[in-house]
This record gives sequence, C-alpha cells and structure tokens, in this order.
Amino acid sequence: MKSVKNIFIAIILSALVVSCSEDFLEKAPLDTINTDNYYQTAEDAINAINGAYQPLQWPKLYNMRMWTSDIMAGNSIVGAGGGDDGRETQDMANFVTTTDNAGVLDLFRGPAPGILRCNVVLQKVPDIEMDENLKNRILGEAHFLRAHYYFILVRYFGDVPLITEPQVPGDDLRPARTDKSQVYDLIIEDLTIAKELLPVKSSYSSSDLGRATKGAATGLLAKVYLTLGDWDKVITLTNEVASLGYQLNEAYADNFDVNNKNSIESLFEVQYTGDAGEDFWANENQASWLSTFQGPRNSGMVAGGWGWNQPTQEFVDAYEDDDERKDVTVFYNGCPQFDGQDYDPVYSLTGYNLRKFLVTKAVSPTYDNSPMNFPVLRYADVLLMKAEALNNQNKPTEAEVPLNLVRSRAGLPAITGKTQTEMKDIILHERRMELAFEGQRWFDLIRADNGQWGLNFLHSIGKLNASEKHLLFPVPLKEIESNPNLTQNPGY
Amino acid sequence: MSKSFKRLLFISILLITVHVSPEAFANRNSQSGSAISTVKQNDKTVKGKVVDSQGQPLPGVTVVLKGTTQGTTTDFDGNYTLTDIPEDGIVVYSFVGMQTIEQSVLNQTEINVTMHEETVGLEEVVAIGYGSQKKKDLTGSIVSVGTDDLKSLPLASVGEAMQGKAAGVQIISNGTPGADPTFRIRGIGTINNNDPLLVIDGVPTQSGLNQLNMDDVQSIQVLKDASATAIYGSRGANGVVIITTKSGKSGRGQINFNAYYGIQEATNMVEMLNASEFAALHNEMMVNAGQVQNPEYGDPSSLGKGTDWLGAIFGSAPIQNYSVSYSGGNEKSSYYVSGNYFNQEGIVNNTGFKRYTLKFNSDTKILDNVKFGNNITLNHDDKYNGDYSIIDAMRALPTQPIYNPDDSYAGPVGIPMWYGDIVNPVGRSEINENTTLGYNLMGSVFGEIEIIEGLTFKSLAGIKANFWQSRTWAPKYDWQPTPQEQSYLGESWNRSITWNWDNTLTYQTTINDVHKLTVMAGTSAQENKFKYMNGSIQEFASDLTQQLDNGLSQKNIGGNENDWSLLSYMARINYSYADKYLFTATVRRDGSSRFGANHKWGVFPSGSAAWRISEEDFFEPVKFVDDLKIRAGYGITGNQEIGNYAFASALNIIKYNFNDNLVSAVVPIVMPNPNVQWESQKQANVGFDATIIDQRLNITFDAYVKNTEDMLVPASVPITTGYSDVYVPSVNAGKIQNKGVELSITSHNMKGEFTWDTDFNISVNRNEVKSLNDTIPMARGSVGFNQQISRIEVGHAMDVFYGFVTDGVFQNEQEVAEHALQVPGDDPYARTSPGDIRFLDLNSDGVIDDDDRTYIGNPNPDFIFALNNTFAYKGFDLTIFLQGVYGNDIYNANRIWSEGMAVAQNQSIGTLNRWTGEGTSNSVPRAVFNDPNKNIRPSDRFIEDGSYLRVKNVTFGYSFPKKIIQKARMSSARIYVTGTNLFTFTKYTGFDPEVGVNGIDLNTYPVTKTYSLGVNISF
Repeated sequence: MKSVKNIFIAIILSALVVSCSEDFLEKAPLDTINTDNYYQTAEDAINAINGAYQPLQWPKLYNMRMWTSDIMAGNSIVGAGGGDDGRETQDMANFVTTTDNAGVLDLFRGPAPGILRCNVVLQKVPDIEMDENLKNRILGEAHFLRAHYYFILVRYFGDVPLITEPQVPGDDLRPARTDKSQVYDLIIEDLTIAKELLPVKSSYSSSDLGRATKGAATGLLAKVYLTLGDWDKVITLTNEVASLGYQLNEAYADNFDVNNKNSIESLFEVQYTGDAGEDFWANENQASWLSTFQGPRNSGMVAGGWGWNQPTQEFVDAYEDDDERKDVTVFYNGCPQFDGQDYDPVYSLTGYNLRKFLVTKAVSPTYDNSPMNFPVLRYADVLLMKAEALNNQNKPTEAEVPLNLVRSRAGLPAITGKTQTEMKDIILHERRMELAFEGQRWFDLIRADNGQWGLNFLHSIGKLNASEKHLLFPVPLKEIESNPNLTQNPGY
Repeated sequence: MSKSFKRLLFISILLITVHVSPEAFANRNSQSGSAISTVKQNDKTVKGKVVDSQGQPLPGVTVVLKGTTQGTTTDFDGNYTLTDIPEDGIVVYSFVGMQTIEQSVLNQTEINVTMHEETVGLEEVVAIGYGSQKKKDLTGSIVSVGTDDLKSLPLASVGEAMQGKAAGVQIISNGTPGADPTFRIRGIGTINNNDPLLVIDGVPTQSGLNQLNMDDVQSIQVLKDASATAIYGSRGANGVVIITTKSGKSGRGQINFNAYYGIQEATNMVEMLNASEFAALHNEMMVNAGQVQNPEYGDPSSLGKGTDWLGAIFGSAPIQNYSVSYSGGNEKSSYYVSGNYFNQEGIVNNTGFKRYTLKFNSDTKILDNVKFGNNITLNHDDKYNGDYSIIDAMRALPTQPIYNPDDSYAGPVGIPMWYGDIVNPVGRSEINENTTLGYNLMGSVFGEIEIIEGLTFKSLAGIKANFWQSRTWAPKYDWQPTPQEQSYLGESWNRSITWNWDNTLTYQTTINDVHKLTVMAGTSAQENKFKYMNGSIQEFASDLTQQLDNGLSQKNIGGNENDWSLLSYMARINYSYADKYLFTATVRRDGSSRFGANHKWGVFPSGSAAWRISEEDFFEPVKFVDDLKIRAGYGITGNQEIGNYAFASALNIIKYNFNDNLVSAVVPIVMPNPNVQWESQKQANVGFDATIIDQRLNITFDAYVKNTEDMLVPASVPITTGYSDVYVPSVNAGKIQNKGVELSITSHNMKGEFTWDTDFNISVNRNEVKSLNDTIPMARGSVGFNQQISRIEVGHAMDVFYGFVTDGVFQNEQEVAEHALQVPGDDPYARTSPGDIRFLDLNSDGVIDDDDRTYIGNPNPDFIFALNNTFAYKGFDLTIFLQGVYGNDIYNANRIWSEGMAVAQNQSIGTLNRWTGEGTSNSVPRAVFNDPNKNIRPSDRFIEDGSYLRVKNVTFGYSFPKKIIQKARMSSARIYVTGTNLFTFTKYTGFDPEVGVNGIDLNTYPVTKTYSLGVNISF
C-alpha cells in the first residue's frame, strides 16, 4: 500500500510541474518598451519625434558621408587614405564607384530609419490626446524631417521606393522604385504642411532650439524648388525666410563657434553635445566626428587629428584675395595660429588642412567629445539661392543684392554689371567658397544644367572619369540583394 | 512563477519525508541486523594473493565480503587475509582500472586471483540523458569518447581533445588561449547557432567546456541522431554532448598526480616582404596610380631587411598543467576531489590563459534506497591579452622600426599614402591591457529514492553561475599616427546564473527473463538571468592608480539585463526482448520563453529499434561475428537559439540633444516578428554495430538524413523599411538537408605482450539548401570592404562562396580593350589597365558587373577522418594520431590585405611574383594605389584548397614497473613526451588551415604546435 501511495505522490508531483508553467515562460525584454502600450501621451509623442532627428547625427549622414561628398566634388582629397580607411571615398573621388561602395551604402542607410520614425509619428501622434499646438508642432517636425531625408535620397539615388507608412511584417517589404517626380511631390507636400504647422524659431525655448522651424521648412522648400528649377517659388520662399528675421552672423567664423550654436543665421543644424556617454562609433554617439577626422595628422593641434579632407591647391587658389573665409576654412602655410600652435604644411599631402570645424583640446580633450554642430541650412545659403533664382530669371542685377550681402560679410568687394552667364558661374563659385565642406558642393554640381555644369567642372580639375552615370550613385548591392524588385541605375 | 515553484518544492520535500519516516527506517534496520548475525555464525579465514595479467603483485586491491563492509586491502606483495568468512560467502576484489572479480568461498582457504584491466566494451554503460544504458542496448547513434583518449594532451579545453575522436563530430580548434573550439555534429543543420547542447553532470548549457579540468572527466558521450537527442527536445537539433566527471571507486583511497610542461609555437608563419622589397613595391604602386613616390624609398635596396613585425609579435610560449586528485569510497559512498592549475601563454605576445579548478564529487547511500550526491566544480580563470592584431602585424611597414631612438614605440609619421596608418602592433600589444577574470560555479546536487524495487525517483538541481569582470586599460601614450590623449579605464561586471531542476521517475523491470523494460518520465525547468554593468573613465593623475575612482573625465556608465526560461516534460521507454529486439521511444514537450504566445510549445517525438541478428539461431554458423546489431531510428528535434526576445515588438530608448540639452528618444530599431516559431529537424538514422573475429574488430556504421524545417534565419530586411538591416528578426524560412555516413573501426591488431590497437573514423556529410521561403538568396560572410563572400541559396550547400571568376591578368592595352568593360574611364590612372585581373564576363553582355558573379567555392569538407594507432610493449606506450579534413575551400581573406597592393601596408612574399610588364605574371596583378580595377573584389583569386592531414598528436610514454615504484609507495608511475600538431600537410598558404567553420580566414589566431613532457603518478 505504501508503495502505491508513493507512486501516487510522484505522479502528482509531475502533474504539479505541468500546472505551474505558463507564467514561468512569460519573459519580455527588460530594456525596451512594448509597442502595444506606447504612444499614449504628449511625452510619448515628444520621445517619438526626438528619435526622428537622431539619424541626422550618424556618420552615415552628417557626421561623415555628407561632408565627404566635398571630396568627390573636388574640393579636397581624402588625405587619410594611406591605409584602408577612406578607400570608398577615394573610389568616389576617382569616379570608379562600384555597387559595394561602403559610402554609398551608408547614404542609402542613413535616411531610412529617419523616414520610418517620421512615419511612426505621422501614424500614431494624430490619435494622441494632447495639446493641439504641441501636436501640430510634432507633426510639422515629422513632415519636415521626412522631406529632408527623402531629399537626400532622391538627389543621390534618383528613383527610390516611396514609403509613407510604417511597414510591418506581412507588408510587401520589397517595393519597386518610385519615379523621382513622385518623390519630389511628397517632399513638396511635406514641406508645405511643415511650413504651416511649425512654429517660428523665436517661439522655441532655448532648450528646444535645434528643432525644425517654419524658417527651416521654408528654406528647405526653396532649395527643393531650386533643384527643380521653379525660380518663382524660390524667390517667394527665400523672401519668406528673410521676413522671419534671419540674418547673417556678423563674422563668417561665428557660424562655426561652439558657443554660438543655432545662431541667427542658422535655419537648421545637426546637434551634437560632445557628451561622451555614448560610444563614438555607435549610432547613439552624441559627439561630432569632424574635428577628430579633419584635424591635421600628427600635429597634436586637436584631439584625434586624422587628417581627412585635405583641400586641394585648386580649391585654395579659388579664394579671391582678402577673402576672410579662407582663414576660417583652411590651414595653409603661414595662416593664423590655431589654439596657440602654428600650422605646418607637412601635415598634409596637399599642404592644406581643413580648419572650419575644428575645436581646441580645451573644448574636446579627447577624440570623442567635440560638441560642434553641423550646419544643414544657413541664411547665407538662402541668399545665394535667391541670387541664383533671380539670375536664372535673367535678372543678374537683382541677383547682385543677395550675392553681395554674402560677399561683403566675407570682406569682398561687390559684384556689379555682370551678364547672366557670367553671373551664373560667379554665384556657383560663391556658393563653393561660402559653403565649402558643408556637403553642398556636390549637389550644386549635379544641379546646375542638370549636371553638365558639374561634369565640365570635374573634367577641368582632372577628374576625367566622371561621366553622366556618376550623377547618381548605384543602388547598393546589399539592398538589391535583399530587394530584387529594385533596378540598378544605368551604367553600374 | 515563484509561488508555484514553492509549491513544487514543498511537495518534493514531502515526498522525501515519506521515505525517511521512522517506520521505514526501523524496518530496514531489522533487515541489516539479520545479515550481521549470519556472519557471526561462521569463523573461517581466507587468504591469498592478487596479481595483474602480467603476474605482477597488485597492492591496494579492495577485498570485501559481498554485501558487507567487512574487508581489507592487499599489501605491497598483493597478499590479503580475511577473517570471519562464511562458506556461502562471496569475496569481491576491486581495483581502479581493473575488472571487479567475485569468487565464491565454498571450502577454499586460499584464493589467488588474477585481475584484468577493464576493457571499454559492450558492457560499458553510457549516459543517454536523464538516464543511462548499456552500450550494447543502444538503438540510437551515440558515440563515447573515453578518458584514455583525452588524458595528457596539452590543450586548454576538453572539446579540443575530442577532435577526431568521434565520427560525425567535426571540431575546429581555436588558437586563442582559453577559447573553446567549434563543434559541428553531422554538418551544418541551420544557419543559426549550430553549437551542440552540452550537458555537464546533468546541467544543460551552451558553454563552459574550457572551465573543466580535463583530468576530471570520466566520460563523454556524443548523441548524434534524433532518436538519441530528442530527449533534449528543442535543444537537440545540433546534437548533444554529455560530459560526466569522475567519481570515487570503492576500495583503497587513491591519490593521482598529473603534470605536464610544454612549449608551443605557430604551425606555420606567413612570410612578408622585407623593407627593400616593400619599398620597391610601394614605388611601383604609386607610379601606376600617377601619385608621387616617397623620396625615402628612392633606393629600395638601401633599406635592407627592416622590421619583421610578425616575428616580433609571435614567439614560442610555455603551457603547463598540474592536477592532484584524491578519491575513494566504500559500498555506501564515494568521493572524488581534485585541484588543477593550468597556465597557457599564447604564441602571440602578451596573450594567455590561466585556470584554477577545484572539483568535489560525492555520493552516499543514506539509506538502502535513498542516495544523495553532488558534482561541484569551482573555477577561476584569467584571460589576458594586449591590444594585439595579427593582421596589423602583417600590415605594418617593414621600413618602420619598432622603437624610436629614445626607446618609445615608433609609428607612422607623415603622409599616410607613404607611411600607412598602422599603430605600432608591438607597442599596442604590450602597453594596452585587456583582462577577463572569470569566477564560475558549476554543479548539481541530486537525490534518488527507490520507491519500490525497480522504481526510482530522482531529483536533480543544477546551477551554472558565471561571474566575469572585464577590464581594459589604455594608458595615455603618444602613439603615431594618432595618440591616446588620456589614459582610459573601462571595466565591466557580468553575471549569468542558470539553474535547472529535473525530476524523473524511472521504472526498470524484467519479465520472464526476456522482456526488459525501462520507462522514464520526467520534468525539467531551467531559467537564466544575465546582467551586466560597465563603466569607463579617462584622465588619470598617475598611471599607477588604475581605479575608476581615480579618473577625472568622460565618465560613462551602462548596464542591462535579460533572461530566458524553458519548461519541459519528457518520457522514454526502452524495451528489449531477449536482447534480440530492442526498442526506444521518447517524447519531449518544451515550452520556451523565447517564442511568442502562439508558438510557446513544441513537441519532439522519436523512436528507434535495433535487431541483434547475432543472437538469432540462423546466425549461429557465422562464427567470425561475435556480435551484430542493426539499428534504425527517426525523430524530431528543435532549435531555439534565436536570441531571447525574437518575438517581441520593442522600442529602444536612445538620445538626441537640442542646443546641448540631452533628450530621450524612443525608436523602433529591430523589425518585430511575432510569428516566430520553432525550428524543427527531422532525422532518420540507420546503422550497425559489429564485433568480429574474437572481439578484434569493432565496426560502427551510421547513415543519416537530417531535414531542417522552418529553419530560423535572420530575415532579409530591406534598408528601405527603416528597420535595421543588420539587427534583424529571425523568420522561419526554408529547409536544409544534411545527409551523410559515418564509419568507425576499432581494431585490436595485436594482443599479448606487444599490443597494437588502431582506431579509424571517417565522416562524410553533404548539405544542401532545399528551399528558402524567400526567393532571394542570403548573403553572408563579411570579409571587410563591405564585401560578403558567402551565400545561402536553394540547390547549393550552406555558405558557398560567391563571386567573380578570374581569368588571368591583362598583359597589354589591347587585351583590356578586347575584353568586356571592367572599370572604364578616361583617367589613365584610375581604370582597368594592363596588369589588372581579367574577370570572366559570365553573361556575355560586354560589361563586368554584379551579374557576372557565380559560385566559386565550398567551405564544407567532402569528408573528415582520423586515424589513431596505439602501441604498447611492457612499460612503453606509443600513440600516433592523425587527423584530417578533405575537400573544403578556404577564402583566405587575409590576402585581401596582404596581396592587395593598393595601400601603404606591407604585403606577403606572394606579391614578389606580381605583374610588372607584359609576360611577367598571369596570376598576380600589378601594384597600383587604390586598386581601380578592384582586383581584390570577391573572386576565386583568394580561394584555396583547405584540405589538410595533420599529425595531431604523438605521445611516447613509459610506465615504471610496479616492483620499483612500490618502494616509493606508488601504484603507478608514467612519464611521457607529447607533440601536438607536429606536422601539417596542406596546400593552404595562410597560417593554418583550421579556420572558422564558414571557411573564411580573417585575422584568425592560429592553432599552435606543442611539445610537452609530463608525468602521471598514482599512490
């Protein structure tokens, strides 16, 4: 009997283990938020839109690939390319870019998470019960950022898949490319909405400066129309920007001063604090790469100092005499000291290094904490856009006004009495010097005369390989392999 | 969970209490009381002598009267005397390593016995998971690796010692000191985690082999087919390795001392260019790209040999191991205690691994039907390395000295195009420190109750507690080209605790002497929690104070936690009829926290049968066959190694800032897949075990087909979704088939005074991707430069290499012009030119583009094999162990750099044959800065034959005669010399052909060659 009882108990024991099961197996991630219960409050909405800004900081965009486009555009050489780093940029600059180019992949990868995050905001935030003004601002920010990300993609790659809602498993994750005219339609629509919803810069508190503003949306829309060749709209929109109170900083150098972030000239900047709490190489990094990458190699002038982006002789020669921007932008033999140190041209293969974005060791004691913001859109750019639009309407004299505002700040004499054809080259030259190394030159090259102006320029500086196919990057091989519905750009 | 858990605990305590009730206790006392009175009735003395098979007297043999504790041990001449022995008594003689002998007393007063060494044979009992079985009754494919095969090898991990010891088990060594090797049991069954489940003394785990002292291991069983592994259900798909550690044996206590000391060196060194050869190449490289030459390289021959960086970071290094154990026991209990110190310095400068292990195993019969026991391993290990990089040592320029005149470390100063950018590899390996200190507890405690005869309840609680602290120290140093601006200290603390609690009821019975039945049913619960904290800080007042408290700036702190759990029910029936017909059936139901609500549970059944033909009457005439058993089995197992929260749809918390104010941001990063479900593997196995010609030859043969279904694969998430295309969810996509045959033969070629045994095994496996639910092939295998070399595509083997096909080198402009467009352009210095590699235009469209890639190699071997010969004559023993792999390709990715000839980095001597003009080379291209033609693109250029045959181990030992060592009170003493990886026959040009399982050699720490000298002494 006893044994039977024992067996019975043993069976009960086994049965008990069965019954205790279900909650034992319920495990959820401890460091993330479950989507089912998020996007309920104003705070959730703010956190969501903050995330949409964050891809701007990545090296895939403004921390590296956007400014290395100046190397491709012929303003500079890679410089650090003695080892393996920079080889993809060297390939771009030699116009032998292939489909596995790491820089091309970065530029394709950079905007996509931003677009998703904007799409999440645009899908979820309208249903949140919250202050309407704040809600509109957040939606405006999302429209602005989404347009901005697509504007990068469409200029580098042409047709791209147009995705306006967050995708979930089960959706068709492999869309074909959308014609770029439709991409531009979305960009224009987004910016038009953003411009209405967003507040003016002055209405932001200091701790919110750096968010998208009405001025940023208006200025960016002007640039979209400039790219599309709608001069009327450019003029209207640049005037609107002027009416919002933007003006040039007194000195050119004020734009690159860590104590003068989001200045009166600034329409939109990528924000960096230099906070070292994140891995410099990770997506979450909050420090600018530019000082570290661009500081003269072996010089000890800045923390890091890897010698990237060395201006070419041709670029430096392009400065007019007395251009005050030269001392701010480049190091050259006999230039003013930096942080009490003289520059030595042996630091560079070309004899020149980039100075614009460098910070002293007092500001950034180690390589991974430069707080320098990166300018995306400045009022000087807006003025030059207006000049270009006016000139394209064959009003070279009217174009002189905004052009000379920029020139006089640089300490240069006014331009007068030029023909439309002369003026065109002058304005593009002015953009080159004013916006040097801010990632604008490449877009100018491929915009003017649908790229022909740019190809002529590239050939003139010895980049003989550059051909029409190079006006667009190849679609990255990796992406074509995971989405066979994507076609390749011609020639790759 | 905790509430139900407590309830469960309570019930088990209750259950145990029932058995220890006073009534039951009293009952048993009276039984043993009567046994004692029987002894007292007689008064007879028995004496005798115990000798071994060579006639040598055996001291220390335990001699007891069966069923009692009454006994003695033999003296130094092997003599013993037992008093008070009844005539119907049975005397039991036992000694470690010898077969136990039982002798009936009857009317004898002198009993002399000859003891024979235990032979590992059919009577051997093997672990089968939640139980054990006689080897001869096995119906599934299980292979045993004995301890004799493992002892004395100068290796850090038991896993490495198993290499070549079991058919169907491919083991790929890792040269890094202290690293565990990679196991592949019966090919690659999944593109996920392919590591087998390890069960160490009842604790299921995925890691920890290198925490064991090899001398503590009693036996290793590898469960290969599904009928054997299905008892581990969702974790059985990759095979199961069951490791049992030693326990004491009843008889006289034993002390064992094992020690060895060895010297390791690299099996092969890649040869790099010297300074003058490099400078000449560099000059050519610059000219060919229209770049300015380095004036310092103007006269290459004047630069001489320069620095041998590889020679400077590689060297010979000692390895040593000391272990002591004492063990013993009696009929009721046994104990085994050991201590071990292992110290391996790496062949790369300033790398190494030290390990301290304590082991305590014991078991005791508290009552006649109640047994408790434990297996506990305490371990501390210390892995350390400088900031070393083998590939950087290859790439550093020979023109650059190691030291500046002031003895500081030199580095590249000046134009990077001329001097490169490799930070001094010797300096980095010496100045910067990385250490990982591990503190590990692994063990289990069990209780076993025989409820009624044949019915046993066993409860086992296991724990694996790992604590490790990592530390990185990089002092402020003026490195070139970029300095370490401030001293940096980073530390992390990690804790991973896994517990499991297994309960099994086993019923064993024999009916009418012919029906043998064993039934097991059980439950298992397991849970793991992992947590870490890390912090770093910079800027130290003095580098002598290396504490986080001493740093000034850049404080950084982080930490995280995750967990998983598994709950299982399992059952198994073993039935045999007259030892002729054998059946096994198992089923396991697993619930895993890693799967979403809809797919939490999976069921994994299996069945197998065997037929011992040799027991049949009709087989009687076949005299030369001693034993022949045919086996067949089928089962389904699973794989759940997909990360802890693959199903979860989660938002990550990151940061942004506005105007220097940090703000939180909540973003989706990984695409969710709530529908993720079990990967299952269906495996069929047939085989036979034969013993023939007077037990001289043992043959085991198996053939299997393994079909993996719903294979969990990382989803191919397009970038345009906005989710990470790197951190991707697993999806159930597709089928993979592995099929193969395995043969192992053990032959006792010569017996007697001179013995010669041969073990041979060979395994052939073919795998093929049968379907991917997705139409697109998966690209894998990063080799740098954004290139992926491997592919998974329907109709091909796993991870086959995919790329361009080379077709020699363009000899002149005309050849370039006549061939399809490769890299065209008007820039003569940045386009395909003579001296560049010609790639085949496979689709004949006149352009070389991504559509001209094809399958160019297969990293999966055609077969793997091993051959072991053991000779013994008198006290001498000799082992010669050969091991090899045939038919696999290696993508030698190191050559992308060492033969790229495109940047200022040193190159291997292969580039001495480079193209320098028409007719100079048709295989090695020209040197040209930045490589416009992409000569380094993934192609068959870097694919090499990875086959090798290796003299894995040669050991020569001598055991001193017992007569001599008895004077030193030793029971055995042996000295030996061992050489491992002595010779490797291969065409492979890299350091060593043993690279990763994916066949990509990229910065792999090479396997070492070791010469060692050791002793084994027992008291």
